[in-house]
Amino acid sequence: MKITVKYFSWIRVKIKLGSEIIETSDNLSFSEFKEILRNKNPIFLEVFKDKSVKYFLNLTEIIDTNIFLKDGDEIAFLPPVTGG
Amino acid sequence: MIKITKNAFNLEEEFLKIQDNSNGGYSFFLGTVREDIKNKKNKIQSIILECYEKLAVKQLSDIRAQAIKNWNLNNCLIIHRIGKLFLGEKIVLIITASAHRENAIRACEFIIDNLKVNVALWKFNVSNGEEQPVNFKNKDKEKFLKWSEVIKY
Repeated sequence: MKITVKYFSWIRVKIKLGSEIIETSDNLSFSEFKEILRNKNPIFLEVFKDKSVKYFLNLTEIIDTNIFLKDGDEIAFLPPVTGG
Repeated sequence: MIKITKNAFNLEEEFLKIQDNSNGGYSFFLGTVREDIKNKKNKIQSIILECYEKLAVKQLSDIRAQAIKNWNLNNCLIIHRIGKLFLGEKIVLIITASAHRENAIRACEFIIDNLKVNVALWKFNVSNGEEQPVNFKNKDKEKFLKWSEVIKY
């Protein structure tokens, strides 16, 4: 399946990417998906350690990391916001 | 009305969009790019506003609906700019309209306090050609949390 991942603020700067499409096997939870990212790039270790970062799946905040992903899903990594 | 835009806006034109004879009071909040007078070393020349637009529109729509319901507003307009903005430029405009002034004023304050901690927008200060992410301010969170005693969910 294909998952679109969007990065914002300092995460985008560190990863040097605004978004990417990641191809994975089917039947994957968000928690397992995080593991794939960790193995892909050590920067994700820092991202996942930061408790202030929020994760959104198709515009809804992920509360339970055991939620399963499906083909075409969009995940976003959101540091604390600073608009206004 | 919710708008996220790279373009400048005109206050009078935006006001006329929600002007109506049923309104007895309007409240305006206008946020602009300011100089950081405490930071003498790295003077800010401009800012960059980044946005997750799909989510920000959804979040702003929810905040707007909440404000209309809680303060019985007749109308409410929120515009937020994105992209590169220079010192003094307009960033955000909120106009609330109601029969009486108190509801318009309170709702306007609620919307900006909420927007600052809950909407998918990020500021970068541009100084000496370098972009630096602006840090989240805890005092903004504390200010927003005070609304939990007021707002009816």
